[in-house]
Amino acid sequence: MVLIEYPQLEVLIARIREISGFDFSGYARPSLLRRASRYLTTHKMEFPELLLHIEQGGSVVYGLIQELTVNYSEMFRDADFFMKVSTEVFTYLESYPTLRFWVAGCASGEEAYSLAIFLKEAGFLGRSLIYATDLSNKALTAAREGVFTLGNVRAFSESYLAAGGKHSLSDYYHVAYNKAVILPELRRNIVFSMHDLTGDGVFNEFQFVSCRNVMIYFTLELRQKVFRLLYDSLSMLGFLCLGKRETLRYSGLEENFKVIDSTLNIYQKIR
Amino acid sequence: MSIAKEDGSLSLVLIGGSSGSFAIFEEMIRLVKKPLSFALIFVLHRGKSSTTVLPELFKNKTNVAMSEPYHLDPIEANCIYFAYPDYHLLIGPDRRFYYDCTHKDFFSRPSIDATFISAAVSGIHVKAAMLFSGSSADGASGMKALAEKGFPTYVQNPAEAESPRMPEQALSIYSKHQVMIDGNPFSIINNILQ
Repeated sequence: MVLIEYPQLEVLIARIREISGFDFSGYARPSLLRRASRYLTTHKMEFPELLLHIEQGGSVVYGLIQELTVNYSEMFRDADFFMKVSTEVFTYLESYPTLRFWVAGCASGEEAYSLAIFLKEAGFLGRSLIYATDLSNKALTAAREGVFTLGNVRAFSESYLAAGGKHSLSDYYHVAYNKAVILPELRRNIVFSMHDLTGDGVFNEFQFVSCRNVMIYFTLELRQKVFRLLYDSLSMLGFLCLGKRETLRYSGLEENFKVIDSTLNIYQKIR
Repeated sequence: MSIAKEDGSLSLVLIGGSSGSFAIFEEMIRLVKKPLSFALIFVLHRGKSSTTVLPELFKNKTNVAMSEPYHLDPIEANCIYFAYPDYHLLIGPDRRFYYDCTHKDFFSRPSIDATFISAAVSGIHVKAAMLFSGSSADGASGMKALAEKGFPTYVQNPAEAESPRMPEQALSIYSKHQVMIDGNPFSIINNILQ
């Protein structure tokens, strides 16, 4: 394991900004440090070598930025969350003639596909549009392809059933070349698009925003700014979903939401 | 309530373990009496579907406040904290907890290395770190990082561990950890926890 120290991380952040323009200054340092250490460990490199390495610019810096920003995701992560959404939250949303969902920080699309599957099972995928956005073009390309390894899909299947899935997850993909490919009909209602939560603004109004385990990678200050963006993107009485260990605390917007489920971190905009 | 020392410093006691450690953790919590001059942080490997709320499970064993912290919660002395399933628990230099759900270490999330390494570079004083029974190599790098910073590190005697691999691995990459060899690790633990 190659360790780096916080002063070195600041040097790295500054160099990446100078070389590429990409600014990590709003990223939470502890997790960024962990990722940078992992980069060094997997590339068998010491910190001074990394600084020399990124001087090459181009694809080297791009690759590093990808590794430092990539989000990991799973389908039906937190089965209890999906169960709650498909029962309580969907019951409320059912009355809307058209529905807009936003999966903010969608990584390779796992959460968006999970949502699409449960919307289909609830019978209103047809009048729903899911916007799934991410900063990473690479992640979005993978998301649009909707191809997952069979090993991953086996784990997703268990979560799907635990979340109350009505069929079998295999009804939603076909297997080709030893991979699971999500059926095109599920993709039809999902718009995968690039959006930077830290810089881009409101682009639509949503009845449901899921931004789970994304803001944990931002600093307290940046997190407040992103919270504001999510709040502004929600329609009145729209739902905001956060990861299990996140809270509205320290967001500055606690008063504007009603708690729907404090364990699963589901909130509703009330003012 | 925080009883951090007057100069505002905080110190941590870090405990890591996996299979075969649970009973030891339970016994340790029984030994803990308030007020604690430090924050006691447990990282136990747990499955992602583990729904056991450890503070709830242990509430009759100690009078010290326990929690599975939330992201950005301040780290306070006189509290016991548990890493939450399916997340890595990181110690921030600003004395807050940070969560991370990136890759697993040694197939584990939470990983002991993630917490211990983040503590080693946090600038926060570590009063002691201990590693117990487990069947993976997780924790060894974290223990080494802490020891190299000059913090006291203790490993369970592999001969007494239900699963010796974890303490063995820690000793194999860094031989100077103190091994709890007197047959009763609790007397050592008790001294540290005072």
